[in-house]
Amino acid sequence: MAESPVPGGYFGRALVVDVSAGSSRVLPLPEQVLRSYLGGAGLGTWLLHELAPTGVDPLAPEAPLAFVFSPLVGTPLTTSAKFAVVAKSPLTRMLTDALASSHFAIAGKLTGHDAIVLVGRAAEPSVLMVQGSEVRLVPAGATWGRTAAEAEAALREEHGHHWQVASIGTAGERGVAYATISHDGRHAGRGGLGAVLGSKGLKALAVRGTTRVAPADPAGVLAAAKDLRARSLGRATAKYRELGTMGNVLALNALSTLPTRNFQAASFEQAPQLAAEELAEARSVTRSSCASCSIGCEHLYRDKGDRKVRMEHQNVSSLGSMCGVGDADAVMAASARCDELGIDTISTGGTIAWAMECAERELLEAPWLRFGDGAALLRAIEEIGSGQGLGPLLAQGSRAAAAVVGQGSIAFAPQVKGLELPGYEPRTMQAMALGMAVNARGADHNRSGAYEADLSGDLDRLSGGQAHVRGAIESEDRAAVMDSMILCSFLRKVFDDPFTEWAALLSLVTGWDLDAAELRATAARIVLAKRAYNLREGWQPEDDWLPERFLTQTLTVGSGRTAELTPDRLRAMVAGYYTARGLDPQGRPVTTH
Amino acid sequence: MGTAKAGLEWHGSTLLRRTVGTLSRGLDGPVVVVRAPGQELPELPAGVEVVDDPHEGRGPLQGIAVGLAAVAERAPSAFVCSTDLPFLHTAFVRRVLRALADGAYDVVLPHVHGFRQPLAAAYATSLAPLAGQLLAEGVSAPKLLLDRSRTLVLDDAALLQDAALRAADPELASVLNLNEPADYAAARARPAPTVTVQRFGVLASGGQHGQRQVAAATLAGAADAVGLVLDRYVLAAVNGDQTGRDPELPLVAGDVVAFLSADAGG
Repeated sequence: MAESPVPGGYFGRALVVDVSAGSSRVLPLPEQVLRSYLGGAGLGTWLLHELAPTGVDPLAPEAPLAFVFSPLVGTPLTTSAKFAVVAKSPLTRMLTDALASSHFAIAGKLTGHDAIVLVGRAAEPSVLMVQGSEVRLVPAGATWGRTAAEAEAALREEHGHHWQVASIGTAGERGVAYATISHDGRHAGRGGLGAVLGSKGLKALAVRGTTRVAPADPAGVLAAAKDLRARSLGRATAKYRELGTMGNVLALNALSTLPTRNFQAASFEQAPQLAAEELAEARSVTRSSCASCSIGCEHLYRDKGDRKVRMEHQNVSSLGSMCGVGDADAVMAASARCDELGIDTISTGGTIAWAMECAERELLEAPWLRFGDGAALLRAIEEIGSGQGLGPLLAQGSRAAAAVVGQGSIAFAPQVKGLELPGYEPRTMQAMALGMAVNARGADHNRSGAYEADLSGDLDRLSGGQAHVRGAIESEDRAAVMDSMILCSFLRKVFDDPFTEWAALLSLVTGWDLDAAELRATAARIVLAKRAYNLREGWQPEDDWLPERFLTQTLTVGSGRTAELTPDRLRAMVAGYYTARGLDPQGRPVTTH
Repeated sequence: MGTAKAGLEWHGSTLLRRTVGTLSRGLDGPVVVVRAPGQELPELPAGVEVVDDPHEGRGPLQGIAVGLAAVAERAPSAFVCSTDLPFLHTAFVRRVLRALADGAYDVVLPHVHGFRQPLAAAYATSLAPLAGQLLAEGVSAPKLLLDRSRTLVLDDAALLQDAALRAADPELASVLNLNEPADYAAARARPAPTVTVQRFGVLASGGQHGQRQVAAATLAGAADAVGLVLDRYVLAAVNGDQTGRDPELPLVAGDVVAFLSADAGG
């Protein structure tokens, strides 16, 4: 236990494990730090500032990889069983943080730590076992070379089911720049965290809880949990329960916001074949949910081999419409294969879509690689996983691959800061365009959900301006808090007055007297801390920008209106963002961490 | 008519609300309502500007002059219409304005059903000073303005060469105005425009996906026709454009209305 009293919901310490030596130390986490950064993505950012050597190579032994829990983990609050994984990204070479969920979060926290940070490199492929403060390395053995799910199952079979495991697939072992870390079928997906774990010679981190954690006001938390659970079953989350995020596909297609053929179009004529509305009836669907979640957003579809495949909007847009593939079985097979290899579906689809366009333009010698060809999509994924053929090129992500291919292909590489764009078209969602341009993680829909502003009806989504700046900032701030305390973002619509309600929840758990104003300040602090980390690692103003394609090619929406995002318009929004964030005109924090 | 046309009820909305809503949908620029001295207006959507006409009883040229002057610094051309065009179609507005775009003319004047339609026409905003000058000379009808300008007259056939307009408004009902109570009654008796409705995501549960044709003059009418309520959980987009839930948003024949969950994304 910590040496001095700590706030409810916390242990007040992180466990820092040197994998090279097989040793560990406790890093005290002062209350001021916890209150300033909460947990999850926020606390992970603080840890990176503290522990990562400046300019460190993301795959170097010294580069820290932080598994960060949150004050709400272990409470009965719905969707709170989540954890963040934070590191310097091998894909962007900036900060990346990704969330995953379920029992690993609870067991990891109940080792008695608010975070487990890994540094070093094991001498041989290993699995790190953390039970309380006891740390040991065991040989990865036969799990090396297997899928994350297989490794997880094998380790729990061998060591006992009270162990929870976060593992990588073979892509993480091979250093694919967008490899994921997986637990219970969920992925800390973006930015290549799996490659970072693999670079430490680790197949997996296994945790076993040994203690308990109590909130400051157990009765208050229980009452709040009951209330939140009831609200989580209402209409605000119906989309996730009934169809999952796949319910977005057709709607976004109708709004000309569905990335198609590497952003050469914004609606996909074969979208109905990939839509939940159609597939839900044709494919016997089952649902599941993370631990401690009452929403149950996860929808599984049967492929033609009768396998259950988890499908999300992002999988469908990245592996389907982005690649011009309308064959649902091919997209499901591609998605399943990404999960097996342990690679991010968004970056995989974006990179392959870029390669398809390169091949069609004859910039890349790959005549087999064509938009719309499901077999080609699957072959490209296999090559990424195996390191054969185009694999070594595509495993770097679209930005690095475009640097190799040259010939102007960077203009249509679908990335910001090296991170491939998610399934939202920035020209027809111009608040989202700003969000993707300035976000610390790169082109991202989790840390910046500014698409909500675009679709709110409160602004013209085709004509970005200062209202879009406000929308993007509000979205970033909300995400910063939700990803740090942590609650699932799918819960966001149940809150009528989010910052006030979140402050109340956190107050019940921690015992702090928090209010909305403090939480808003916390959100801004977290956003700026991420930016400050990137600045330290070499961020330049031109990194807050979109690829040339989006700024030179227009789209036409269904009404006949033209969607144009000019450089001047984006520049004005970025400048407005800098001003509103208190940054200098070059986007640098006036005061840093 | 015996009552102010602007406030006449129209499928749960008003004539003026419908007209400005149709213009907002058909145009990218500002929409301005010229209000006569002391005139009460029905509620207007956000973004619609109201300018006061300082003079009363000077006829339609006065309204044209005030309206053109109000937007002259922001737009090279303007579609000018009266408030009583309940069947005005966005395709008509676009067709007429497009003919003005190349700068060869100052006015595009529809000549429909045998009548010139100066209050359903497009004007270069640079005509504002000339209109003012004519008013100072005591002119109140638009005719002299048209005669002294480079005016392109488009008759029925010329207008209907536009495929979009031909499909959307083959009878050119866009110019039908309401001068007598009987006109209003007859217009009100006409069926609401036929639009296509599609429900997406969770709103399509229970086999409700796929397109449906319904008669609806407003967004609320379309929602009602398919059993939806425009509450906080529902958004709509007309023809794949902006999302919103304004119940009085006017719909015109051929529109495609998408209803989607307000929690899009994720």
